[in-house]
Amino acid sequence: MTMAQVILIALFIYLAAIGSIVGNTIGWYCLGRPLVASFVVGIIMGDVQTAMIVGIPLQIAYLANVTPGGAVAWDLSYATYIGTAMALAMKGTVSSDAALIGLAFTGAGIGGVVGGTMWNVHYALDVVLNRWAERIAANGDAKKMWMPNIIGGQLIGFACRFIPAVIVLMAISAGASAGISIPDWFIKGISSFGSMMAALGMGIILSFLIKKNYDWAVFLVGFVLVTYFGLGMMSVAVIGVLAATIFYQIIDRKEAY
Amino acid sequence: MAKTLDKKTLKKSFNNWFFWNGCSQQAESMLGMAFGQSMAPVIDELYDTREQKAAALKRHITLFNTESQVGSVCNGIAIGMEEQLANGVGTAESIQEAKVALIGPTSAIGDSLWVATIIPLLLTICLSISSSLTSAAWVGPLLYIVVYPLGTYFLSWTIFQLGYKAGLEGVQRFMASGQLDKIIRAVTILGLLVVGALTASFVTCSLNIDIKTATKVFDEATQAYIDGSISVFNLDNLLNTVFPKIVPLALTVFVYWLYTKKNWKPLVIMLLILVLAAVLTAIGYIPTIGAFV
Repeated sequence: MTMAQVILIALFIYLAAIGSIVGNTIGWYCLGRPLVASFVVGIIMGDVQTAMIVGIPLQIAYLANVTPGGAVAWDLSYATYIGTAMALAMKGTVSSDAALIGLAFTGAGIGGVVGGTMWNVHYALDVVLNRWAERIAANGDAKKMWMPNIIGGQLIGFACRFIPAVIVLMAISAGASAGISIPDWFIKGISSFGSMMAALGMGIILSFLIKKNYDWAVFLVGFVLVTYFGLGMMSVAVIGVLAATIFYQIIDRKEAY
Repeated sequence: MAKTLDKKTLKKSFNNWFFWNGCSQQAESMLGMAFGQSMAPVIDELYDTREQKAAALKRHITLFNTESQVGSVCNGIAIGMEEQLANGVGTAESIQEAKVALIGPTSAIGDSLWVATIIPLLLTICLSISSSLTSAAWVGPLLYIVVYPLGTYFLSWTIFQLGYKAGLEGVQRFMASGQLDKIIRAVTILGLLVVGALTASFVTCSLNIDIKTATKVFDEATQAYIDGSISVFNLDNLLNTVFPKIVPLALTVFVYWLYTKKNWKPLVIMLLILVLAAVLTAIGYIPTIGAFV
């Protein structure tokens, strides 16, 4: 990786974080999704094709990585930008797609831990900004109300995210130049971890969706549509929209809630 | 003369919220400062004296939290109430109460409807496109980059205006009418079907137990019988004939149970999965029973 690539990727790690300057809709929920993140890293490092090979399994593993109540367990933007960058930087050392994906999950693990820690630091430091906001409010300075939120929040956010990202990326870059290779058993283990990780996301999403006992039956209908009938996701989505429409028409409110 | 907010002020207030709602998130006031920034242009226009502005700003930097994309309805409602207050209708306390009352329902709707259903659904569609177009896999992310932010901006702005126009009573009436419950319920059905299909498609977990027996096997390359082994007991295959993908399903339900019933933190569950993956991979390497040997 060149220094310019390191800086650009670190910049995107900051932009894709919760509460960056571009807003959560464009940042965390869009740039922060692994599918998009790997695409961006692919452009920066000039190899979109390889980036997408690791981006798809990463996206599957972290599909349901949402942030209920601001509790960030796993920093997605750190995890996937660094994971993809690591896979691309070290692609010369591996010979199969599976090994490449193993590299990406290894990088994602490193990034996720660093990112999760930095998020907690960020979250704690932001508390101080309340004093600044209170002072502005007490003076009735409506025109200055943006300052603690944007200037304060972003200075802390940028420092907490950009700088550690540069350090981690430079370390990976150095490791790649030194020619580190990863053993087969490790790749098998980390790949099975990646595909089992998808269960975590699904479990958390289910906790939002399951309200009544018969909801399990609906969930299982979706499950067997794939296992028994071999339908693709697109087909299930269409069936789901139709089912939801019918359900909406026949539902009686008292029964449903 | 009654004060009415300029449309430009509304848009400015909305943009302040939409782009910068998470900028200074912290444990003390959550999104409080961002809410204050969103209300600042409104307060600046509605009130004349510094004292009035200070009083209004103070009540909008207090604790506030929501799922901010769908939660823009709260800003709309608060602005509507603030406008009424400037015209001498209502009390400052009622605005506070309304905000606090909105935290729960808007977070719940936003998280379950938008974050946990629409985002994974849209991602899955884009993912399917990327996996099927291997030579042009970039189409998936590009589609997501365009559709998601634009769609969300439009939705968020629409419900912001809805909150402003309909007010607290209007929104509550809409909620109480059962219309919203029906919509949420219907989308939940969609979400459940999709998550069921996602679990079946993407969660994999093998027990890696495959007992083999040594025997002569026919080798295609040399056209002769050579020493080899055949599987006599493959646990994954056996379980899959009973119910396909039962192991991934069980893992998912187990995670759900740990998360909701045992209140395990996602990070701890992740560590457990890491340990499980290590153990299962190790089983795969055990001589005579492992799948990898």
